[in-house]
Amino acid sequence: MSLLDCFRTGDFPIQLLIRMSPPWVFIDELRRFTESFCACACPGQDREAQVALAVHELMQNAVPQAHGEEVELMLEVSRERDVVAIRVSNRCSDEDYQALRDRIQHMNEEPDALAHYVHMMRENPANTRGGLGLARVRFEAQLEISVRREAGRVIVEACGPLRAPRLPAVGGTHG
Amino acid sequence: MANPSFAGRMPALQVAEEKYSAHLGFDPQGIRVHFRGTISTPNPAVVLNPFVDAVHAHVLEAAAKEVRVDLTQLEFCNSSGFKSFIHWIERIQKAPEPKQYRLRFVSTKERKWQRTSLLALSCYGVNIVTMEGTI
Repeated sequence: MSLLDCFRTGDFPIQLLIRMSPPWVFIDELRRFTESFCACACPGQDREAQVALAVHELMQNAVPQAHGEEVELMLEVSRERDVVAIRVSNRCSDEDYQALRDRIQHMNEEPDALAHYVHMMRENPANTRGGLGLARVRFEAQLEISVRREAGRVIVEACGPLRAPRLPAVGGTHG
Repeated sequence: MANPSFAGRMPALQVAEEKYSAHLGFDPQGIRVHFRGTISTPNPAVVLNPFVDAVHAHVLEAAAKEVRVDLTQLEFCNSSGFKSFIHWIERIQKAPEPKQYRLRFVSTKERKWQRTSLLALSCYGVNIVTMEGTI
């Protein structure tokens, strides 16, 4: 949306942009900060914990792929359009991009986010790292995930409504 | 509930990393495993899976039917750390049926991620995962 569009619609999305070199130690701080930021940007929406979780998982995926180069995080919140969007971008190889694109395409072919998440729990050995983060973001944060490539960088976007429907209640005994 | 006499023989099982820790305890309700801090390292399973295996072995020895997994002091757990709970469920599923036990997760509404994570985990560990707490 251009600035002119903003004036026309009266919608001024709140944006946060962070560019960082990727030591792991910053990811916890980033998660805490984005949780606070989101709570301030959209009070009463009860979305901050989900956004923070998504930021953590997406950054955690991006850091190893970036091979020491910078990772960029963009968080956008629009109450007017009822949307929250997280974009994480980093430089990556063609092979890494193709693999990521295939994984996201495969994930999105399953319309039931929980079914895919549980499937990934079965498929990914518990003693290896990785494999669950995107499915977790899709189900737990209730965000749709897409990926594209621009100028040698991969951009992963997680986007969804600011007023997300509440997931089913838990607390009962299963079985 | 575990055999109370087992409490006296329970070894000090624990792991302590820079940002998180876990330890096996025993209270009037039975065996309780506490997780604390932030599990966010790249591959926490290297530390947590052996801990889970050791706890699992002691639960089998105690013939307990339920273990409380206390997450109330756990600020966050990344998806790699989450796999250690999946690993635990798989260990229970592979045990002979009479020896299988339940994992009763104790959570807090202060950590909103726990609600959705436990919802997903309960769908994976049907008949094994139960929950208590104010979520």
